[in-house]
Amino acid sequence: MSPFEIAEPATIADALALLSGDDPDIRPLAGGSALMLMMKSGVFRPTRLVSLRRLDEFTGIAATPEGGIRIGAMTSLAAIEHSSLVKQRAPVIVEAMRRLANVRVRNQACIGGALAHGDPHLDMPPLLAALGAEVTIVGPEGERKVAVADLYVGYYQTVLAGDELIREVSIPSLAGRHTAYQKCTTRSADDWPALGVAVNLRAGKSGISEARIVVGAVAEIPTQLRNVEMILQGRTLDQALLAQAGEAAAAELSPTSDARGSAAYKRQLVKVYVGRAIAAAMDVVAS
Amino acid sequence: MSNARRKISFQLNGATVSATVENHHNVVELLEQFGLRGARESCGQGLCGCCTILIDDVAVSGCLQLAAMVDGKNVCTIEGMQKNGELDPIQQAFIESGAFQCGFCTPGFVLMTQQLLDRYPDPDDDQIRSYLSGNLCRCGAYPEILKAVRLAAEKRKSAATA
Repeated sequence: MSPFEIAEPATIADALALLSGDDPDIRPLAGGSALMLMMKSGVFRPTRLVSLRRLDEFTGIAATPEGGIRIGAMTSLAAIEHSSLVKQRAPVIVEAMRRLANVRVRNQACIGGALAHGDPHLDMPPLLAALGAEVTIVGPEGERKVAVADLYVGYYQTVLAGDELIREVSIPSLAGRHTAYQKCTTRSADDWPALGVAVNLRAGKSGISEARIVVGAVAEIPTQLRNVEMILQGRTLDQALLAQAGEAAAAELSPTSDARGSAAYKRQLVKVYVGRAIAAAMDVVAS
Repeated sequence: MSNARRKISFQLNGATVSATVENHHNVVELLEQFGLRGARESCGQGLCGCCTILIDDVAVSGCLQLAAMVDGKNVCTIEGMQKNGELDPIQQAFIESGAFQCGFCTPGFVLMTQQLLDRYPDPDDDQIRSYLSGNLCRCGAYPEILKAVRLAAEKRKSAATA
């Protein structure tokens, strides 16, 4: 790696002043697990890193009065994994953490970085998008809120400007929701996913009344499966519906080929895993 | 380039030390300054576990940590595990179980096992496999490593009740 400056501001104002809206070689540093890989491979050669670890406003996990959770951007994935509040209010996140990278990476990586990085092969963007989470972003103009579903615009590209920071992520109440996240890794157990499927359903006696399904890793950004969501609407779950949902998902997506699988292989994965994830959310077994 | 390097001080295996580091150096490179080579940079991507160290009692990959960021922290490496010339029960369990051949990955496995047993003192095999899934042993000593972790848990329990 080539030399660079490290700044460790103690206030948000100082941090924002040290960042730059138009210099791509100046970037904020959260846990650093992903940035270190980019720096080691020479993809990213910074002139300045702005560490966020002294920003107290960026830490902590708290309950919201509405039944949701607020998580500071600098909270490690491990802290989320082991939070009793998250386990109680959003167990699907705890489950997803168990198969995300490995213990050491989860100890180091932070939720803000996992969302801001924009790598399509991460688990939290599709999952938090499906859960209806939103991020609070601070910047020179003040604060703004953006749904995680609207955060991504392209490969490693988000709506965040170079001088904006995710301060926290807020997850709404999931009371009465059926949720699941299923992923497939093709090279090793703790590899980045070849496919991740996040499901968030509301269902009652008259069938599924609300469905949100977001797929990660098959395209440049997390992708919401709107056709599948419409198919599920008002229906009662059975094996035929699961198969139909899988077929529709495969038809709706145009997977990209990469080291974790060809486009054709991923289309087959989508077909199988969308059904499995819906079944897991509703606690039934997909045949 | 004075702003590209800095002086840091930190706890290293219980002793207060200081060092001058380049901002772009990682912790494995920092430890080499102190002649500590138990943490080895192998994959360089946080996947293999050979560079496992504890920072403030939390296991991380040394190769993914900037040396500058351990300023003021407490760093533990495999070299700090023995107490008064006695091996840690986890190290002893690995020896008794023959849980290695070449030994290259062993420091990482031992430190991860310490983290595992701190969190789950009586782990089942699934917990062991899941917790150690980010550590690779290319000699394939996994069955013996599983045995060693179970033995280490026993040793810890009997040490606690002795």
